[in-house]
Amino acid sequence: MKSVSLGQYYAVKSPIHSLDPRIKIVLAILYIVIVFLCSNLLSMALLLVSAIVIVALSNIPLKIVIKSVKPILFIIAFTAIINIFWTTEGNLWLDLGFAKVYDKGVINALFLMVRIFVLIIGSSILLTYTTTPIALTDGIERLLSPLKRIGLPVHDFAMIMTIALRFIPTLMEEAEKIMNAQKARGADFTNGSLIQRAKALIPILIPLFSSSIRHALDLATAMECRCYRGGEGRTRMKILKCRASDIFALLLVIGFGAAVVCINIFASPFLPF
Amino acid sequence: MAKIKLQDVSFFYGKGTAYCKEALKKVNIEIKEGSITGLIGHTGSGKSTMLQLLNGLATPSEGKVYLDGVDIWEKPKEIGKVRFRVGLVMQYPEYQLFEETVEKDIAFGPKNMGLNEAEIAERINEAIDFVGLSSDVLQKNPFDLSGGQKRRVAIAGVIAMRPEVLVLDEPAAGLDPQGRDVILDGIFKYREKTGATVIIVSHSMEDMARLCDDIIVLSHGEVVLNGTRDEVFAESEMLERIGLAVPQITLLMHELNARGIKINNGIYTEEAAVDEIAGLFGGAR
Repeated sequence: MKSVSLGQYYAVKSPIHSLDPRIKIVLAILYIVIVFLCSNLLSMALLLVSAIVIVALSNIPLKIVIKSVKPILFIIAFTAIINIFWTTEGNLWLDLGFAKVYDKGVINALFLMVRIFVLIIGSSILLTYTTTPIALTDGIERLLSPLKRIGLPVHDFAMIMTIALRFIPTLMEEAEKIMNAQKARGADFTNGSLIQRAKALIPILIPLFSSSIRHALDLATAMECRCYRGGEGRTRMKILKCRASDIFALLLVIGFGAAVVCINIFASPFLPF
Repeated sequence: MAKIKLQDVSFFYGKGTAYCKEALKKVNIEIKEGSITGLIGHTGSGKSTMLQLLNGLATPSEGKVYLDGVDIWEKPKEIGKVRFRVGLVMQYPEYQLFEETVEKDIAFGPKNMGLNEAEIAERINEAIDFVGLSSDVLQKNPFDLSGGQKRRVAIAGVIAMRPEVLVLDEPAAGLDPQGRDVILDGIFKYREKTGATVIIVSHSMEDMARLCDDIIVLSHGEVVLNGTRDEVFAESEMLERIGLAVPQITLLMHELNARGIKINNGIYTEEAAVDEIAGLFGGAR
């Protein structure tokens, strides 16, 4: 259970790690939009190159990046196959008798695969791999802060999120301890019917609930002791600052988006797909 | 024969990742049948890991764990039986109570062993007696009890399995002196009555001196001292070097000796110290 890394944050130093979390959230949203703007061969190729550049810049080992895509490989393969066999546009490539494969179908499938891969890799590297959960919620809070004017408790939401994230590892550790303790008294979580196994969870869930309530009460007391009064008039220890590199990154991605749009408009007539 | 034997046991956390940590390094120990063995070491020295290896909650990365001369991992499917024979009370066990009544909670272990109702009832009464609780707590909700009482109920839950080896991880941590005495006495009584082997982790050298026959000292995952209580507490300098200590009263004796007063170094209790010092002045107190 110790192997579960929360939010996948990978602690290394890189230009992407050091970006302002607010900028990174904006960048990720922009990047996702760009992924869907790409519609021809040239822009797709450019997109692929951009994803490679992002991975290289992030200093995160390729093995880790690939691991994050693994869970969705099946979905990608499934949609690709559907695209290949169900598209009936373009020139006929292959006639297998029971199914016909058109070149447009193959290209569609290819585009789709590239899109999903780049989407997952790009957004996870821009956000979860390179930003700690705490920095992320901080960034979200700051980005949403204009909503305070219409009466939304943005700070409270961010605090709830931060606390929830903070306690996931604690509760996992606790769950492991409780599981071990019940195993030591002969509890068996792996054998038996589904109902038996569900019942076997009761000796874990009840102590876990009681300890999370205990944690919540303790934390509330500790926060009160340190005069926590919500977001009103609260200053920060770490003030987020937009630096030149942040602006540069933003301009880079906007420029990339503009290039993709231009390619879509001007290059499309000259490309086969 | 040794009740429990660890042969060249190593344990790594997160093997094969960047966070790999060696919690135990080639540990070789033997624990005598019927003895009370204390396990001491600073935080993070591998004590808790070692306890989990004893009842098969953790699998050694290298080496073997023997119970009565049989490798406990010989038949991995029957590791559950080992857990009934080696009862482990983890740290702060009161947070693991979950049933509606104390009685049901203590019955959890024996029930998992497949015992019949009459046998379970008998064991519950026996266990509650060992930890010094009266039978009127049995119908109470464990969440209504005090911290010390909860701890005792949790220990009773393991004792009710009548383990041949009782392993306790800091059973008295965070309790008041009276609560501590009741629990330690209960453990002692359990050993006296059943002849079980007891292994106990504690940070209190006074408790260790009072209770243990043998003591094992761990430091950074290695066994640095292993012997009888007298042998281990004679090494006060070594113990202090690794961030531990001898009982305060023993330290006093060592200091007196160092100042040229001829006095017995192997003193662990205040009574013995009083007698010893009175002896210096040529008479009983």
